[in-house]
Amino acid sequence: MSTPSVPPQPVLLPPAPERPAPPRDRRRGDVFRRQQARLGWGLSAPALVVIAAVTIFPICYAIAMSVSNVSATGSGFSLSGLTGNNYSIIVHNAQWQYALFFTVFYTVVTVAVEVLLGTCIALVLERLSAGRGWMMALLLVPWSMITVINAELWYYAYNPVYGIIDNIFSHIGLGAPVILGTRTSAIIALMVADIWKTTPFVAIIVLAGLVMLPRDLYEAAEVDGAGGWKVFWRITFPQLRPTIALAVLFRVLQAFGLFDLPFVLTSGGPGYSTQSLAILAYNAMFRDLDFGPGAAVATSTALLVVIGCIVFLKVFRAQAGTEA
Amino acid sequence: MRNRSRRGWRRVFNGVNLATVLVFLFIVIPLYWMVATAFKTPANVDASPPQYFPSPLSVANFHDAFVHYTFGRYIVNSVIVAVVATALVLALGTLAGYAMGRTPMRGKFTVLVILLMISVFPEIAVVVPLYALLRDIGWLNSYQALIIPYTAFFLPFAIWILRNYFLAIPHEMEESARIDGANPLRTIWSIILPQALPGLFTAGIFTFTACWTEFLMALSFDINNNYRTIPVGTALFGGQFITSYGDLFAASVVAVVPIAALVFIFRRSVVSGLTAGAVKG
Repeated sequence: MSTPSVPPQPVLLPPAPERPAPPRDRRRGDVFRRQQARLGWGLSAPALVVIAAVTIFPICYAIAMSVSNVSATGSGFSLSGLTGNNYSIIVHNAQWQYALFFTVFYTVVTVAVEVLLGTCIALVLERLSAGRGWMMALLLVPWSMITVINAELWYYAYNPVYGIIDNIFSHIGLGAPVILGTRTSAIIALMVADIWKTTPFVAIIVLAGLVMLPRDLYEAAEVDGAGGWKVFWRITFPQLRPTIALAVLFRVLQAFGLFDLPFVLTSGGPGYSTQSLAILAYNAMFRDLDFGPGAAVATSTALLVVIGCIVFLKVFRAQAGTEA
Repeated sequence: MRNRSRRGWRRVFNGVNLATVLVFLFIVIPLYWMVATAFKTPANVDASPPQYFPSPLSVANFHDAFVHYTFGRYIVNSVIVAVVATALVLALGTLAGYAMGRTPMRGKFTVLVILLMISVFPEIAVVVPLYALLRDIGWLNSYQALIIPYTAFFLPFAIWILRNYFLAIPHEMEESARIDGANPLRTIWSIILPQALPGLFTAGIFTFTACWTEFLMALSFDINNNYRTIPVGTALFGGQFITSYGDLFAASVVAVVPIAALVFIFRRSVVSGLTAGAVKG
């Protein structure tokens, strides 16, 4: 399924060690190597300058805002003093505590469901004899869909008057609940919309991993007469673990920055029951103009993501190391 | 393959095919609902109980979306931003990916890790400072207010993808080009690029999709109606007018179809990109 020239999952593995320079005329070789190294920096410079200008400066500025007294002036912001106030404000704020809980809860539940469901879908499609290419192409459609449009679509489906979902509910005798009106149902509604859009993405990653598994172990298992479940747990799953781990990492990072979907579908409501950390930060800064605390929310969210990412890579590499 | 040979009716009616049909329905039903709503008459869009099949079929919503509302404008804006940003990402990403994949550049491992960190950094953390910066230089509500940030934020992932493809190209041809006296840019252009074409497709599609769907920065920097991209235009649609879902979904169908077609055509590149490592969230 995948182009053979691309090794699977290289991102999580350390870059290949440099080949030792072949012995050659030392002086000429060194000069050439140094030239090539300089060429490397020269060729990367344009990209790195653009990236640094647009990302490094704002990241530093956001951190500075989060530890200063920020006041908005006519021409921009003025930062004064070094203070931990912004962080102590958010830590003691009920909305922040809830947003943190909600974001973590949402991330755990949606990623768990998506990985479970996505793996099942991948296992099914892997056994499909005809039309697998078409099914994979179909899986890519929700992935490529604009999240905002996905949100509008579900908002329309959840409508209590003319929405299709309430209509189905009343057909099977569940009445016509105001789905987005109560906390529990709004959270479930949000998760359903997310699961529809991103499960196919997980399925594709897992399927691509499945297709690349070596065949010989399965043949041996068949000779030994091992059953389906046993084969899955003993052979497929252990080999698939790095692929699933990768899917989990990307989904967690994405889910933790949750913004587009609740912004349109629930506006963080009812009350602030679907307010994610990103929505809270956005509202604090763009609606309430509380720039200091807003920056503190945003920066602490980013910090959590970076720490989570580093921990994951460490654990993953340690695991890969013991298995190799 | 582990497909057991099946005979008779079991060739068609078996667990795998049944489950595939369920998967198919799971994905297609919401898409169907969007398309069906777009083709209903404006009055039937809000009918209660809802119409399961549009009858009569109507293209009035498409007419409204593009004549009464400015969805055409949003689509043009999205195309301009996404095409220019993708072109910039591919141009800069090719040079940087080549450098990181094929030259003994010192410190490239550190650079690659920093790039990875940037590509997972939550957008919300940088939106306000970027907003202030763009306001200072008078770029709010302009194409470059999105093109430059998109280029910067989606470059790291493209560099990773391209680097992986460059790593796999054999060194011999490059060396003979150098011996023949071709300069580095010439070598990249005529020796490396043709061999890395699948990588360029993959990086290009990922970047384009990311630009096409990005919401938070577009919402913060380009709120003016003349510069709204499709996601912003769609999200704010209900706020200004009485929401007409027929018009909204007619426009959405037009916005979803080109990218879906693109992904359909290049599905191999997309899948290999997904398995090659990462997708920006």
